Amino acid sequence: MINFKEIKENRLSETFKKKGYVIIKLDDIKPLEYLRNSIIKNISKICKISHPEKNEEEYFLNNFHKNIKPIKLNEYRLKIINSINRDNNFKKNYFLSSKNVLYDLVGNELSMQTRINLSIQIPGDRTSLLPLHSDIWSGDSPFEVVAWIPLVNCYDTKAMYILPPKYYKKVEKNFSKFSGNSSEEFFKKIKKNIEWIKINFGEILVFNQGLPHGNIVNKELETRWSMNCRFKSIFSPYGDKKIGEFFEPITLRVASEIGINYNLPKIK
Amino acid sequence: MKKVKGYMSSRSFMGERVPQHIQNQIIRNYCTQNNFYYMLSAVEYAMKNSFLILNQIIKANKEISGIGFYSIFQLPENDILRMLLLKKIIAKRIIILFCSEGFIVKNYKDIIRVNTIWLIKKKLKYSLTNFDYFKKNKTKN
Repeated sequence: MINFKEIKENRLSETFKKKGYVIIKLDDIKPLEYLRNSIIKNISKICKISHPEKNEEEYFLNNFHKNIKPIKLNEYRLKIINSINRDNNFKKNYFLSSKNVLYDLVGNELSMQTRINLSIQIPGDRTSLLPLHSDIWSGDSPFEVVAWIPLVNCYDTKAMYILPPKYYKKVEKNFSKFSGNSSEEFFKKIKKNIEWIKINFGEILVFNQGLPHGNIVNKELETRWSMNCRFKSIFSPYGDKKIGEFFEPITLRVASEIGINYNLPKIK
Repeated sequence: MKKVKGYMSSRSFMGERVPQHIQNQIIRNYCTQNNFYYMLSAVEYAMKNSFLILNQIIKANKEISGIGFYSIFQLPENDILRMLLLKKIIAKRIIILFCSEGFIVKNYKDIIRVNTIWLIKKKLKYSLTNFDYFKKNKTKN
Protein backbone atom coordinates (compact mmCIF):
# COMPACT_ATOMS: atom_id res chain seq x y z
CA MET A 1 0.00 0.00 0.00
CA ILE A 2 1.31 3.45 -0.87
CA ASN A 3 1.58 5.54 2.27
CA PHE A 4 1.90 9.31 1.96
CA LYS A 5 0.97 9.99 5.57
CA GLU A 6 3.23 12.17 7.66
CA ILE A 7 5.62 10.65 10.21
CA LYS A 8 3.45 11.89 13.08
CA GLU A 9 0.32 10.32 11.59
CA ASN A 10 2.11 7.02 10.97
CA ARG A 11 3.37 6.90 14.55
CA LEU A 12 -0.08 7.51 15.93
CA SER A 13 -1.61 4.91 13.61
CA GLU A 14 0.96 2.32 14.64
CA THR A 15 0.29 2.93 18.34
CA PHE A 16 -3.45 2.65 17.73
CA LYS A 17 -3.01 -0.65 15.88
CA LYS A 18 -0.59 -2.08 18.44
CA LYS A 19 -2.28 -0.97 21.66
CA GLY A 20 -5.86 -0.60 20.48
CA TYR A 21 -5.97 2.97 21.74
CA VAL A 22 -4.15 6.28 21.98
CA ILE A 23 -4.18 8.88 24.75
CA ILE A 24 -3.59 12.46 23.72
CA LYS A 25 -2.76 15.31 26.05
CA LEU A 26 -4.55 18.38 24.74
CA ASP A 27 -2.61 21.61 24.16
CA ASP A 28 -5.79 23.64 24.20
CA ILE A 29 -8.16 22.57 26.96
CA LYS A 30 -10.76 25.28 26.36
CA PRO A 31 -13.20 22.86 24.64
CA LEU A 32 -12.74 20.42 27.54
CA GLU A 33 -13.38 23.15 30.07
CA TYR A 34 -16.58 24.02 28.24
CA LEU A 35 -17.71 20.39 28.53
CA ARG A 36 -16.81 20.12 32.20
CA ASN A 37 -18.35 23.46 33.15
CA SER A 38 -21.52 22.60 31.30
CA ILE A 39 -21.81 19.26 33.11
CA ILE A 40 -21.17 20.93 36.47
CA LYS A 41 -23.83 23.56 35.80
CA ASN A 42 -26.29 20.79 34.97
CA ILE A 43 -25.40 18.79 38.08
CA SER A 44 -25.96 21.83 40.29
CA LYS A 45 -29.31 22.54 38.68
CA ILE A 46 -30.62 18.97 38.39
CA CYS A 47 -29.25 17.49 41.63
CA LYS A 48 -29.64 20.74 43.59
CA ILE A 49 -26.04 20.85 44.79
CA SER A 50 -24.25 24.19 45.20
CA HIS A 51 -22.02 25.12 42.30
CA PRO A 52 -18.30 24.71 43.19
CA GLU A 53 -15.88 27.61 43.48
CA LYS A 54 -13.29 28.09 40.75
CA ASN A 55 -10.55 25.38 40.87
CA GLU A 56 -12.81 23.18 42.99
CA GLU A 57 -14.37 21.45 39.95
CA GLU A 58 -12.37 18.24 40.21
CA TYR A 59 -13.09 17.90 43.94
CA PHE A 60 -16.78 18.56 43.28
CA LEU A 61 -17.03 15.80 40.67
CA ASN A 62 -14.88 13.28 42.56
CA ASN A 63 -17.02 13.68 45.67
CA PHE A 64 -20.38 13.76 43.92
CA HIS A 65 -21.43 10.48 45.58
CA LYS A 66 -21.31 12.14 49.00
CA ASN A 67 -24.06 14.55 47.98
CA ILE A 68 -26.66 12.26 46.43
CA LYS A 69 -28.74 9.19 47.17
CA PRO A 70 -27.51 6.30 44.97
CA ILE A 71 -31.10 5.43 44.07
CA LYS A 72 -31.42 8.78 42.27
CA LEU A 73 -28.28 8.22 40.19
CA ASN A 74 -29.90 6.96 36.99
CA GLU A 75 -32.57 9.66 37.03
CA TYR A 76 -29.87 12.33 37.36
CA ARG A 77 -27.72 10.73 34.68
CA LEU A 78 -30.59 10.69 32.16
CA LYS A 79 -31.54 14.29 32.92
CA ILE A 80 -27.94 15.46 32.49
CA ILE A 81 -27.56 13.49 29.24
CA ASN A 82 -30.76 15.00 27.82
CA SER A 83 -29.66 18.46 28.78
CA ILE A 84 -26.14 18.29 27.29
CA ASN A 85 -27.47 16.75 24.09
CA ARG A 86 -29.84 19.67 23.60
CA ASP A 87 -26.82 21.99 23.50
CA ASN A 88 -25.24 22.09 20.02
CA ASN A 89 -22.17 23.85 21.42
CA PHE A 90 -21.58 20.87 23.67
CA LYS A 91 -21.36 18.56 20.66
CA LYS A 92 -19.16 21.04 18.83
CA ASN A 93 -16.74 21.33 21.74
CA TYR A 94 -16.68 17.56 22.10
CA PHE A 95 -15.64 17.31 18.47
CA LEU A 96 -13.11 20.15 18.78
CA SER A 97 -11.40 18.48 21.71
CA SER A 98 -10.86 15.30 19.66
CA LYS A 99 -10.58 16.83 16.18
CA ASN A 100 -6.82 16.50 15.54
CA VAL A 101 -6.51 12.90 16.62
CA LEU A 102 -9.70 11.92 14.75
CA TYR A 103 -8.41 13.54 11.56
CA ASP A 104 -5.22 11.49 11.90
CA LEU A 105 -6.88 8.17 12.75
CA VAL A 106 -10.22 8.29 10.93
CA GLY A 107 -10.07 11.04 8.32
CA ASN A 108 -11.32 14.57 7.93
CA GLU A 109 -14.79 13.80 6.65
CA LEU A 110 -16.56 12.61 9.76
CA SER A 111 -19.91 11.38 11.03
CA MET A 112 -20.49 11.90 14.75
CA GLN A 113 -22.84 10.04 17.08
CA THR A 114 -25.90 12.23 17.55
CA ARG A 115 -26.14 11.69 21.33
CA ILE A 116 -23.11 11.88 23.58
CA ASN A 117 -23.10 9.34 26.42
CA LEU A 118 -22.24 10.17 29.98
CA SER A 119 -20.97 7.63 32.46
CA ILE A 120 -21.10 8.21 36.21
CA GLN A 121 -19.51 5.47 38.32
CA ILE A 122 -19.93 6.15 42.01
CA PRO A 123 -17.86 4.01 44.42
CA GLY A 124 -19.38 0.57 45.03
CA ASP A 125 -22.24 1.03 42.55
CA ARG A 126 -23.22 -2.10 40.64
CA THR A 127 -26.08 -0.52 38.68
CA SER A 128 -23.99 1.39 36.14
CA LEU A 129 -21.66 -1.40 35.06
CA LEU A 130 -20.77 -2.03 31.47
CA PRO A 131 -19.68 -5.67 31.37
CA LEU A 132 -17.09 -6.96 28.92
CA HIS A 133 -18.21 -6.41 25.33
CA SER A 134 -17.10 -5.39 21.88
CA ASP A 135 -19.35 -2.81 20.20
CA ILE A 136 -19.06 -4.63 16.87
CA TRP A 137 -20.57 -7.81 18.32
CA SER A 138 -23.75 -5.84 18.93
CA GLY A 139 -23.99 -4.15 15.55
CA ASP A 140 -21.50 -1.29 15.41
CA SER A 141 -19.41 -0.85 12.29
CA PRO A 142 -15.73 -1.83 12.50
CA PHE A 143 -15.03 1.53 10.85
CA GLU A 144 -15.93 3.45 14.03
CA VAL A 145 -13.73 4.67 16.87
CA VAL A 146 -14.76 5.90 20.32
CA ALA A 147 -13.53 9.22 21.67
CA TRP A 148 -13.65 8.79 25.46
CA ILE A 149 -13.24 11.92 27.56
CA PRO A 150 -12.73 11.86 31.33
CA LEU A 151 -13.87 14.82 33.42
CA VAL A 152 -11.75 13.62 36.37
CA ASN A 153 -8.52 11.67 36.70
CA CYS A 154 -9.23 7.96 36.14
CA TYR A 155 -7.08 5.10 37.40
CA ASP A 156 -7.39 1.45 38.50
CA THR A 157 -11.04 0.42 38.98
CA LYS A 158 -12.18 4.01 38.49
CA ALA A 159 -11.09 3.65 34.86
CA MET A 160 -12.09 1.33 32.02
CA TYR A 161 -10.21 -1.67 30.71
CA ILE A 162 -9.46 -2.97 27.22
CA LEU A 163 -8.08 -6.21 25.86
CA PRO A 164 -4.99 -5.39 23.74
CA PRO A 165 -5.04 -6.55 20.08
CA LYS A 166 -2.36 -9.21 20.54
CA TYR A 167 -4.59 -11.05 23.05
CA TYR A 168 -7.77 -10.38 21.12
CA LYS A 169 -6.46 -12.44 18.21
CA LYS A 170 -6.50 -15.52 20.44
CA VAL A 171 -10.07 -14.75 21.55
CA GLU A 172 -11.20 -14.34 17.96
CA LYS A 173 -9.80 -17.74 16.99
CA ASN A 174 -11.42 -19.58 19.92
CA PHE A 175 -14.40 -17.40 20.69
CA SER A 176 -16.68 -20.09 22.16
CA LYS A 177 -13.93 -21.36 24.42
CA PHE A 178 -13.31 -17.89 25.84
CA SER A 179 -16.84 -16.51 25.97
CA GLY A 180 -18.40 -19.41 27.91
CA ASN A 181 -21.97 -18.73 28.98
CA SER A 182 -21.75 -15.22 30.38
CA SER A 183 -19.75 -12.04 30.12
CA GLU A 184 -18.58 -12.63 33.69
CA GLU A 185 -17.13 -16.00 32.72
CA PHE A 186 -15.58 -14.34 29.68
CA PHE A 187 -14.04 -11.61 31.83
CA LYS A 188 -12.48 -14.14 34.20
CA LYS A 189 -10.76 -15.86 31.29
CA ILE A 190 -9.16 -12.73 29.89
CA LYS A 191 -8.69 -10.84 33.17
CA LYS A 192 -4.95 -11.41 33.35
CA ASN A 193 -4.41 -9.88 29.91
CA ILE A 194 -6.57 -6.76 30.11
CA GLU A 195 -5.10 -3.31 30.40
CA TRP A 196 -6.51 -0.69 32.78
CA ILE A 197 -6.40 2.71 31.20
CA LYS A 198 -4.92 5.44 33.32
CA ILE A 199 -5.98 8.83 32.05
CA ASN A 200 -6.24 12.34 33.49
CA PHE A 201 -8.53 15.27 32.91
CA GLY A 202 -6.95 17.24 30.04
CA GLU A 203 -6.32 14.08 28.06
CA ILE A 204 -8.56 12.19 25.67
CA LEU A 205 -8.67 8.52 24.84
CA VAL A 206 -9.54 7.23 21.38
CA PHE A 207 -9.95 3.47 21.27
CA ASN A 208 -10.85 0.64 18.94
CA GLN A 209 -14.37 -0.30 20.06
CA GLY A 210 -14.01 -3.67 18.33
CA LEU A 211 -11.69 -4.81 21.11
CA PRO A 212 -13.35 -6.26 24.23
CA HIS A 213 -13.66 -3.56 26.90
CA GLY A 214 -15.75 -2.60 29.91
CA ASN A 215 -15.54 -1.68 33.57
CA ILE A 216 -16.01 -3.26 36.98
CA VAL A 217 -17.33 -1.88 40.27
CA ASN A 218 -15.45 1.30 41.14
CA LYS A 219 -13.53 0.36 44.28
CA GLU A 220 -11.77 3.71 44.59
CA LEU A 221 -13.03 6.46 46.87
CA GLU A 222 -13.93 8.87 44.08
CA THR A 223 -16.70 9.08 41.47
CA ARG A 224 -15.74 8.57 37.85
CA TRP A 225 -17.19 10.99 35.30
CA SER A 226 -16.53 10.26 31.65
CA MET A 227 -18.20 10.74 28.29
CA ASN A 228 -18.02 8.71 25.13
CA CYS A 229 -18.97 9.32 21.54
CA ARG A 230 -18.43 7.39 18.32
CA PHE A 231 -16.97 8.81 15.12
CA LYS A 232 -16.53 7.32 11.67
CA SER A 233 -15.76 8.32 8.15
CA ILE A 234 -18.97 9.53 6.46
CA PHE A 235 -18.83 7.19 3.47
CA SER A 236 -17.46 4.06 5.16
CA PRO A 237 -19.88 1.15 5.80
CA TYR A 238 -22.45 1.63 8.56
CA GLY A 239 -23.51 -1.13 10.91
CA ASP A 240 -26.81 -1.26 12.74
CA LYS A 241 -26.27 2.33 13.80
CA LYS A 242 -27.25 4.26 10.75
CA ILE A 243 -26.76 7.72 9.38
CA GLY A 244 -29.58 9.99 10.53
CA GLU A 245 -30.81 7.96 13.49
CA PHE A 246 -27.42 7.47 15.19
CA PHE A 247 -24.77 9.35 13.18
CA GLU A 248 -24.77 12.76 11.60
CA PRO A 249 -22.19 14.17 9.13
CA ILE A 250 -20.25 17.01 10.76
CA THR A 251 -17.37 17.80 8.39
CA LEU A 252 -18.68 17.12 4.89
CA ARG A 253 -16.14 18.42 2.36
CA VAL A 254 -17.10 20.45 -0.67
CA ALA A 255 -16.18 17.72 -3.20
CA SER A 256 -18.59 15.34 -1.47
CA GLU A 257 -21.23 18.05 -1.24
CA ILE A 258 -20.98 18.53 -5.00
CA GLY A 259 -20.96 14.75 -5.51
CA ILE A 260 -24.08 14.00 -3.51
CA ASN A 261 -25.96 16.77 -5.31
CA TYR A 262 -24.80 15.80 -8.80
CA ASN A 263 -27.22 14.42 -11.40
CA LEU A 264 -26.32 13.55 -14.96
CA PRO A 265 -28.05 15.82 -17.51
CA LYS A 266 -31.22 14.30 -18.92
CA ILE A 267 -31.45 13.49 -22.63
CA LYS A 268 -35.05 13.69 -23.82
CA MET B 1 -47.90 23.69 24.87
CA LYS B 2 -47.40 23.21 21.11
CA LYS B 3 -49.67 20.66 19.50
CA VAL B 4 -48.01 18.05 17.31
CA LYS B 5 -49.83 15.74 14.94
CA GLY B 6 -48.13 12.37 14.44
CA TYR B 7 -47.43 11.09 10.93
CA MET B 8 -46.82 7.36 10.44
CA SER B 9 -46.07 5.17 7.44
CA SER B 10 -47.84 1.97 6.46
CA ARG B 11 -45.22 1.01 3.89
CA SER B 12 -41.47 0.50 4.08
CA PHE B 13 -39.24 3.51 3.57
CA MET B 14 -35.61 3.39 2.36
CA GLY B 15 -35.68 -0.38 2.73
CA GLU B 16 -36.82 -0.34 6.37
CA ARG B 17 -40.20 -1.36 7.77
CA VAL B 18 -41.24 -0.25 11.24
CA PRO B 19 -44.48 -1.52 12.84
CA GLN B 20 -46.98 1.28 13.36
CA HIS B 21 -47.25 0.79 17.11
CA ILE B 22 -43.47 1.25 17.38
CA GLN B 23 -43.62 4.41 15.24
CA ASN B 24 -46.40 5.65 17.49
CA GLN B 25 -44.42 4.99 20.67
CA ILE B 26 -41.34 6.78 19.38
CA ILE B 27 -43.34 9.85 18.33
CA ARG B 28 -45.28 9.95 21.60
CA ASN B 29 -42.13 9.58 23.74
CA TYR B 30 -40.28 12.26 21.82
CA CYS B 31 -43.21 14.66 22.24
CA THR B 32 -43.44 13.97 25.97
CA GLN B 33 -39.71 14.40 26.52
CA ASN B 34 -39.63 17.66 24.60
CA ASN B 35 -42.80 19.18 26.02
CA PHE B 36 -45.06 18.92 22.99
CA TYR B 37 -48.72 18.01 23.18
CA TYR B 38 -49.08 14.83 21.13
CA MET B 39 -52.21 14.57 19.02
CA LEU B 40 -52.94 11.12 17.64
CA SER B 41 -51.13 10.10 14.47
CA ALA B 42 -52.42 9.94 10.93
CA VAL B 43 -51.30 7.00 8.80
CA GLU B 44 -50.12 7.50 5.23
CA TYR B 45 -51.55 5.28 2.48
CA ALA B 46 -49.48 2.23 1.62
CA MET B 47 -49.28 3.00 -2.12
CA LYS B 48 -45.79 3.89 -3.33
CA ASN B 49 -45.11 7.64 -3.54
CA SER B 50 -48.39 8.54 -1.82
CA PHE B 51 -48.22 11.64 0.37
CA LEU B 52 -51.94 12.34 0.35
CA ILE B 53 -52.37 12.10 4.10
CA LEU B 54 -49.33 14.28 4.74
CA ASN B 55 -50.68 16.92 2.38
CA GLN B 56 -54.03 16.68 4.14
CA ILE B 57 -52.35 17.39 7.50
CA ILE B 58 -50.52 20.38 6.04
CA LYS B 59 -53.71 21.77 4.53
CA ALA B 60 -55.75 21.44 7.70
CA ASN B 61 -53.06 23.07 9.78
CA LYS B 62 -55.12 25.40 11.93
CA GLU B 63 -55.05 23.25 15.03
CA ILE B 64 -51.44 22.14 14.95
CA SER B 65 -48.03 23.73 15.47
CA GLY B 66 -46.01 20.75 14.33
CA ILE B 67 -45.92 17.42 12.54
CA GLY B 68 -44.18 14.53 14.26
CA PHE B 69 -42.60 12.09 11.79
CA TYR B 70 -41.18 8.80 12.97
CA SER B 71 -38.13 9.30 10.71
CA ILE B 72 -36.66 11.67 8.13
CA PHE B 73 -36.72 8.76 5.69
CA GLN B 74 -40.53 8.88 5.48
CA LEU B 75 -40.07 11.95 3.27
CA PRO B 76 -40.21 11.58 -0.54
CA GLU B 77 -37.14 9.93 -2.09
CA ASN B 78 -37.28 12.36 -4.98
CA ASP B 79 -34.95 15.26 -4.14
CA ILE B 80 -37.10 18.00 -5.68
CA LEU B 81 -40.36 16.76 -4.17
CA ARG B 82 -38.74 16.40 -0.76
CA MET B 83 -37.40 19.95 -0.76
CA LEU B 84 -40.72 21.36 -1.98
CA LEU B 85 -42.62 19.54 0.71
CA LEU B 86 -40.29 20.66 3.51
CA LYS B 87 -40.38 24.27 2.31
CA LYS B 88 -44.18 24.13 2.09
CA ILE B 89 -44.48 22.98 5.70
CA ILE B 90 -42.05 25.59 7.01
CA ALA B 91 -43.79 28.34 5.02
CA LYS B 92 -46.96 27.51 6.96
CA ARG B 93 -45.04 28.02 10.21
CA ILE B 94 -45.37 24.38 11.13
CA ILE B 95 -42.35 22.81 12.76
CA ILE B 96 -41.30 19.28 11.82
CA LEU B 97 -40.17 16.75 14.41
CA PHE B 98 -38.17 13.74 13.23
CA CYS B 99 -38.50 11.69 16.36
CA SER B 100 -36.22 8.77 15.63
CA GLU B 101 -33.35 11.09 14.76
CA GLY B 102 -34.23 13.73 17.35
CA PHE B 103 -34.19 16.60 14.82
CA ILE B 104 -36.52 19.55 14.84
CA VAL B 105 -36.85 21.48 11.59
CA LYS B 106 -37.85 25.10 11.98
CA ASN B 107 -36.13 26.95 9.15
CA TYR B 108 -34.35 26.62 5.83
CA LYS B 109 -31.00 25.88 7.49
CA ASP B 110 -32.58 22.88 9.21
CA ILE B 111 -34.00 21.72 5.87
CA ILE B 112 -30.49 21.68 4.40
CA ARG B 113 -29.33 19.62 7.38
CA VAL B 114 -32.02 17.01 6.75
CA ASN B 115 -31.44 17.04 3.02
CA THR B 116 -27.69 16.43 3.42
CA ILE B 117 -28.39 13.30 5.44
CA TRP B 118 -30.87 12.17 2.79
CA LEU B 119 -28.41 12.67 -0.06
CA ILE B 120 -25.65 10.79 1.78
CA LYS B 121 -28.02 7.97 2.65
CA LYS B 122 -28.98 7.63 -1.01
CA LYS B 123 -25.34 7.44 -2.06
CA LEU B 124 -24.64 4.88 0.68
CA LYS B 125 -26.94 2.51 -1.22
CA TYR B 126 -23.89 1.91 -3.38
CA SER B 127 -21.58 1.35 -0.42
CA LEU B 128 -21.20 -1.88 1.55
CA THR B 129 -23.21 -2.42 4.71
CA ASN B 130 -21.61 -4.05 7.70
CA PHE B 131 -23.42 -7.26 6.90
CA ASP B 132 -22.12 -7.34 3.31
CA TYR B 133 -18.70 -6.48 4.59
CA PHE B 134 -18.54 -9.43 6.98
CA LYS B 135 -20.02 -11.78 4.36
CA LYS B 136 -17.43 -10.76 1.78
CA ASN B 137 -14.63 -11.13 4.29
CA LYS B 138 -15.86 -14.61 5.15
CA THR B 139 -15.82 -15.60 1.48
CA LYS B 140 -12.28 -14.25 1.16
CA ASN B 141 -11.05 -16.35 4.09
